[in-house]
Amino acid sequence: MAESTTFTNATQILEPFRGVKKVTLEEYFTSGHRTCQGCESALVMKLMVKAAGPRTIVLGSTGCMYVANTTYYTTPWVVPWMHTQLGSSGSAALGTAAGLKALMRKGKMKAEPINVIAFCGDGGGADMGVGAISATLTHKEYNSLILLYDNESYANTDIQLSGMTPYGAHTTFSPPGKAKRIIHTRWKKNMAGMMAAGHPECRYVATVCASYAVEMMNKVRRALTIGGPTFIHSLDPCPKGWDYDPMLSHELGELAIETGIFPLYEVEDHQVRYYGKTKAIVEGRERKPVREYLLKQGRFAHFTEEDLEYFQKKVDEMWEKWEIPAVVPFRRLEATKAALEVK
Amino acid sequence: MAALICEIVYRGIFQKNLASRIARGIVLSARKSGRWGIAFGRYGDSPQRNGIPAKDFAIVADTNEELEQNMARYEPKHVDVTICVDDTLAKGVESWAWYGLQPINRLTVPNGTVLMTSIQSFGELLKDIHRKDAPYKLALMRAKASFSGLWVYREDHTEVRILGALAKIAPAFLSLDGVSQAIAEMDWGSDLKVASARKAYERLETREVTMAEGNPEIPYSFEMPKWWEMREGVTIPAIPIGKPKEEGKGYVPERNPYFKKYTTRTMRPVVNFDTCVKCTLCWIQCPDSCFDVMPDGTYDANMEACCGCGVCEAVCPVENCITMVNESVFEDNASQWEMWRKDKPAYQVWLTNKIGDKQATVRSHGFRFRGQYEQELKTDLDSGGVEITAGIPGENAQHKTV
Repeated sequence: MAESTTFTNATQILEPFRGVKKVTLEEYFTSGHRTCQGCESALVMKLMVKAAGPRTIVLGSTGCMYVANTTYYTTPWVVPWMHTQLGSSGSAALGTAAGLKALMRKGKMKAEPINVIAFCGDGGGADMGVGAISATLTHKEYNSLILLYDNESYANTDIQLSGMTPYGAHTTFSPPGKAKRIIHTRWKKNMAGMMAAGHPECRYVATVCASYAVEMMNKVRRALTIGGPTFIHSLDPCPKGWDYDPMLSHELGELAIETGIFPLYEVEDHQVRYYGKTKAIVEGRERKPVREYLLKQGRFAHFTEEDLEYFQKKVDEMWEKWEIPAVVPFRRLEATKAALEVK
Repeated sequence: MAALICEIVYRGIFQKNLASRIARGIVLSARKSGRWGIAFGRYGDSPQRNGIPAKDFAIVADTNEELEQNMARYEPKHVDVTICVDDTLAKGVESWAWYGLQPINRLTVPNGTVLMTSIQSFGELLKDIHRKDAPYKLALMRAKASFSGLWVYREDHTEVRILGALAKIAPAFLSLDGVSQAIAEMDWGSDLKVASARKAYERLETREVTMAEGNPEIPYSFEMPKWWEMREGVTIPAIPIGKPKEEGKGYVPERNPYFKKYTTRTMRPVVNFDTCVKCTLCWIQCPDSCFDVMPDGTYDANMEACCGCGVCEAVCPVENCITMVNESVFEDNASQWEMWRKDKPAYQVWLTNKIGDKQATVRSHGFRFRGQYEQELKTDLDSGGVEITAGIPGENAQHKTV
């Protein structure tokens, strides 16, 4: 036995919802939060705890989902929730899971599997907190889920650029000018791929989008059931920062998938499984052109044909050149490929 | 020796750039009229959220000393002019850092003015605006609410028309020539905009409002715990779990009792329960969990919790089953499902009437595709009186994506 556990690692066994009619009616994140109209991240919170159920503790690092939800001595949370600092969603998840385990071992609380979910925004998770999240994903004896809700900017403080902001987007740090049109020239980080590739003992990493609610909830349920530290990356259209009519929130989520900009997949025990519309793309369905997605957003209103072409080219590369399409940007040398085949 | 204090009440993000242009315009017009001025936002509104009501202030004074005297406070407690750039705010304001509902005219001084952009009549607006314990004036500038996003501005001249109207309301502080000069010198100004401001000056409609007029409802309010009543660790009690609607069927969640969010709404969903196929999409995709599950399996949008984003209309697969309708044509937050249950034929008449009136229903939240504002403005830019049906045609059925 190589296991180092001193107490049980049991998790709640959460079977996937078989269809939208089977989803539980109870809400554990309810109305009365101060988010924008059409906020997809609020929807992610709602679906995340709906999937996790009542025996859940949620920890939130600073960001929209902290500031807008639990302001001025009021809350929309039905399950216990605690704030943690910007970069510390990983530490909070690990500490809470370890604390619960210790209390149960000592008999100070009833021994039962309790879900621990820490969420972070793209600023808190992918920029500041990536170190702590990475550390947590190596602690395999503690059950916790880290959910990154990615609205592609520091949206709470009025849209500053983050490491997850897509190429060329208009933010308060990258306003297009007359002399120079594209100020933000970096390509977005690949968080889910990075977490899956870099943490051999993390058993489950997934990408989700709340436009596909049931699949999204089932990924959360799978992550909590499988146990150990797990990671989910959710792409959340943000009507404020992306600048679109809030009624398009759902549609933009779908378009992000259908254009291939954001792939839906899960990596369970190192096996990559595409699902939903992404699976169809992998199996040969044509991707929609990225312009259909980009031109619905004010943050790309300054794009010219040239910029649209560049964006399309980068997305094509993800699908055509990467060793595991849209998951990890590794490419094997032709010589290595040949050598492996000879063996 | 006097000062003019203005507040600009607007929809967060959608009108953020509009409000800051108005506030800056007031200050620069004051300078051109030989006076002093300053503009500032309300700290508690930042960071803003789409649609949640917010405020900017602008102060004009005869002398620099008087201006400083008015600046030496956190925010004005009384204002001479309340500028309201969306008429659905007439129902009251629950800003995100404030407790309870505030009438739109709450800070307006006796005999002060509420200046509103609206296509409604005085009588219709006074059904929404709460009664005030002093007479005041209601001034209307005929226009649709001008909504745009954070990055793309909608150049429909609303900001300069407000400035022109303000010169009419407060001639002692802002001269029309001063306003015109300021507009011409602004980096977003033009001769056409100066002409729009002058037209607005001429066309402003004003009427006295007595203490007996207005909505008699008492705005909702509550007491928050004092600091010595707070729990250890400043913990907050969680919201209790919800209950079935009736006889063990359906589901109604408990909600945050201290922030209702409905004053964020500028459009509301109207549901046709007869054509509903119970697909669950509106319920599951609503970011505000505003849909209560009814015993018959249909979904009733709770009007205390709905903030009017329109995602339900977008995801509903049945044509005209959920239609977003301009909030200004409703008078209460009553349950549509209860109305339907009581009298189905009467509900159908009500519903057809509400969704059929395109003049009232058409309203755009903001950016939908590149080139949208340019398309809309072709019909909009008479600027003296805006074509009220301009906007995106066929709001519901033609934009189905599911």
